[in-house]
Formats: sequence, C-alpha cells, structure tokens
Amino acid sequence: MQSESRIDPKIVEEILKFSKNVIDAPKLVSAPDEISLEVTPHDVVQQIDKTRLLHYRPLTEKRHKTPLLISYALINRYHILDIQPEKSWVRNLLLQGFDVYMLDWGTPTSMDKYLDFDDYVNGYLDSSVEYIKNESSTEKISLQGYCTGGTIATTYAALHPESVKNYIATAPVIDGWRDTTVISNLAKHMDVDKMVDTIGNMPPEFMYYCFSVLKPFEQGIEKYVKFFKNIDNKQFVDSFLRVEKWLGDTPPIPGELFKQWIKDIYQKNLLIQNKMYVGGEHIDLKKIDMPVFTQIAVGDHLVSPECSMPLHYAVGSDDKTLRMYPTGHVGMIASSLSQKKVLPELGQWLSERS
Amino acid sequence: MSSKPQALSSIGPMRAFASNSKKISTELIEINDDLIEFNQYLTEYYKQLADTWSVAQKKTNLKVPEVPQDVEQIEAFKRIWIDIFDNDYTELFDSEKFGENYGKLVSKELELTKHWNNITNVILQSVNLPSKEEIDEVYKEMHSLKKRVAKLELELKKEVKKNAK
Repeated sequence: MQSESRIDPKIVEEILKFSKNVIDAPKLVSAPDEISLEVTPHDVVQQIDKTRLLHYRPLTEKRHKTPLLISYALINRYHILDIQPEKSWVRNLLLQGFDVYMLDWGTPTSMDKYLDFDDYVNGYLDSSVEYIKNESSTEKISLQGYCTGGTIATTYAALHPESVKNYIATAPVIDGWRDTTVISNLAKHMDVDKMVDTIGNMPPEFMYYCFSVLKPFEQGIEKYVKFFKNIDNKQFVDSFLRVEKWLGDTPPIPGELFKQWIKDIYQKNLLIQNKMYVGGEHIDLKKIDMPVFTQIAVGDHLVSPECSMPLHYAVGSDDKTLRMYPTGHVGMIASSLSQKKVLPELGQWLSERS
Repeated sequence: MSSKPQALSSIGPMRAFASNSKKISTELIEINDDLIEFNQYLTEYYKQLADTWSVAQKKTNLKVPEVPQDVEQIEAFKRIWIDIFDNDYTELFDSEKFGENYGKLVSKELELTKHWNNITNVILQSVNLPSKEEIDEVYKEMHSLKKRVAKLELELKKEVKKNAK
C-alpha cells in the first residue's frame, strides 16, 4: 500500500534552497570591514574636538547661492544620508545644484561626558554655521536637522534666526509627550541622572537594546530571512550590508547632553512648551521666523508623526510647509521614494528660497 | 628612629587596602541585597515577555488553525505570525507596566555598577591611583576650560573684525 504524502515538494525545495543560501552566504557577501560608507567625495573643512565639518564636492556647474548644512542625528552616524549613490540624500541635493555641508558629531569618549546641549548648539553647530557663512560670503545659510539632529537644529534656529535663511526639519524629535513610540515609553521611565552619574556617556549597547524592541520580529527575523533568500541578488545584498553596517555603528552620546535631551524632551516636554533653556538662553519656537519645511514619515516607529508635527504649528514663520510621506524613519531619507518624491519636493521648495 | 617601620607601612598598598577593607565588605553586602531586587525585576521582565509570547501564539493558532501545506500557505502563516507577535510585543513595550519594571531593572543594574565602581575605587586608592570621581573632576575642569577658551576666541574674533572695520 502506498502512503500519501501531503507535503508540497516545493516546500522541501524551498527549505533546501534556503539552507544552501545560508551555507553560501559567507562566500558571497563582503565582510563589514570591506564596505566603505564614504560614498560621495568630500573634504573635511573644519575639525573641533571630535566633530568634523564635511563639505561635499559639487556635481553641477551651476549652484544655488545659499549653502545647506545638515545636522545629523545623535544616534548612528551621518552615513545613512549618503549610503549608496542611487539612494544618497546628499548626492541628490548636489545634483540639484545645492552646496552641501554635513556636521559629523564624531565619536565621544569618556572625557566628553560633560558636553551638553549648549556645546552642541552654541558650540559645534554655531561654529559650523559661522565657517560656512565666511566661506560662502553669505549672511545666512539653509539648515536641515534630522531626527535628534532636528532637535538640536530647532533650538539653533530659535536662538540664532539671524543666521538661518531656511530651516528643514526632517522627522525632528519635538513633542515627547505626544510621541507614541516604544522609545518614548522607555525614556519616560528612565532614571537618567543615575544612569549618567554611574556610567557617564550613553553606551551604544543601550541604544542597540532600544532598537531591538522596535518591531522585533520583522527586524529580528523577517529581515534576515529576506536577506538569505536574496543572497544571489548583488544589489540587494550590497544595500542590505550597507544599512546593517550603518545600524551597527552608533557612537556613545555624551552624558550631560543625553540627560538634558531625555529630561527636557521626553520627561518634562519643555521644548514644545517654550520652556527649554540651552546654555542659559530661553528657547522660544516663535523666534523661528524663517521659511520652515517639515518632513514627516507616516510609518515612523522611531519618532512618531505626532512627535514631529507640532513644530509646524509652533514656529513663528508665515512661510511654512508640512509634508507627510507614506514611509518610515529611514525610508524617508534613504529609499527610492526619497529619491523620487521627498528630495524633488524639498529641492523645489529650497531652490525657490535659495 | 622608632617610628620608621610604622611610616613605611603607612604608605604601602596593603596598609591602605586594609584600612579600606571594611568599605569593600559593606559594598559586597549591599551588592547582595541589590542582587535580590535585581533578580525580582529580571524575573518580572522575562515573565512579561513569556506571557506575551503565550498570548500571541494563541492568537496565531486561532487565526491559522491548520498546518500550512504549500509554500504560499507558509508565507501567509509567517506573515500572520510576525504581524501578531510584533503587535503584541509593541503593545507590551509601550505599556506602563513594562516601562516601569524595565526602568527599575536598569536602575538596579546601575546600583550594582555603582557598588562595583566603589570597590574599584578602594583598590585604586590603595595603589595611589586616582578614583573615578577624581578623573571625573579632571574631565569637568577640562570641559569648563574648553568652554572658556572658545568664548575668549569668539570675543577675540569679534574684536579683530571690529578693528578691521
């Protein structure tokens, strides 16, 4: 008597193929060290402590007059904005004729634990703005802040409106109480004083823990299943490894800066209430009177739209634009959608004002 | 002449270590107490994770009652499983009870680190090396000096600019 098997042979085939891909993976993919995340050519034009001001080399002959400075986030590094040529935020802006600078916050060490918001806003960011103003002989520059870099850039724009011609806030962390993400829940219950007093800077390991609780099954399982399934697809593998390398490279955050960020933004929510102080100076969002372009990702699970959106309504500017995109936190800056939709819209808005 | 041997022992590492050994014992006793509380929070942490797993698995079983038979069904099952688990765990991580317990867990872990730092400080002092607090003071001083220098440089720049005009 012949027994009837109900297992689809395709299942067996799939399992065998997947196993083969896992075995072949080490032969097919590059080691993280072999991948360089420095994509678009640039020069380091200024170095203060561990921070570096990068100036990207132009890709067009005709350029807009007002230079653009990007203030990247405190988590991970600026490379995501230039992760690969076809998804590069920086390259796209260069091709649209903008003069692009990037502020790399560097990798703080134990001795930097006393660096605070004041050092970042009135020190490193202000020095970069002053340098660019001098170099380009302009009175004002355009400023873009991404994620936590958006919090820093927002406070800068409020304190130094005379230096900012246009302000672009990309998924900025603004209203901590409205934030609906897991990060905000962890931040609200954190004894940040004890943390900083005991361990100094915020270690990358803690950040990795925070990332691991964001969509743990999609990010921890499905992502890698997809990777092994597509191991023969060179473009997919290259893109995947670049993002993985970027994800695994987050510098510590200086203790005092982290303390103020958690307390003032997530626990006391001072920024949006116009009650925050940086270096003894009051931050009044109404003083942001230059044109403001706020970009929000609807599917953002790191900085929820509810957290970023209040900036649009809080600034004093008459010329303000709010754009929402059907993507996530990283998708907004490094994806085909960002190349096809987000950047052309930003470019148009900025060129009309540059 | 008679005080010489005493003077010698008073600067040696063992003398310093012996005089501070009580501190180490106290720290160790406190570590023990903190470890008990730390384990309570850790148990609660894993209990919350396990409970969520169990509920999510039940939900998945209700949605997908039969064993998948072909590739498409496996894909569909995987999608449902991931969606339900991600939703349930996100709900847990977003909850007050998780945030509160996790906050206490991290706080206890920091207290354990603090005790360890205190023990290390005793050992460092016994060999005349600066403690963590002393090094922190140096960092603080350097930070404040850097700030002052930056401020002075800025003022100088302004002055030069003014004079140039």
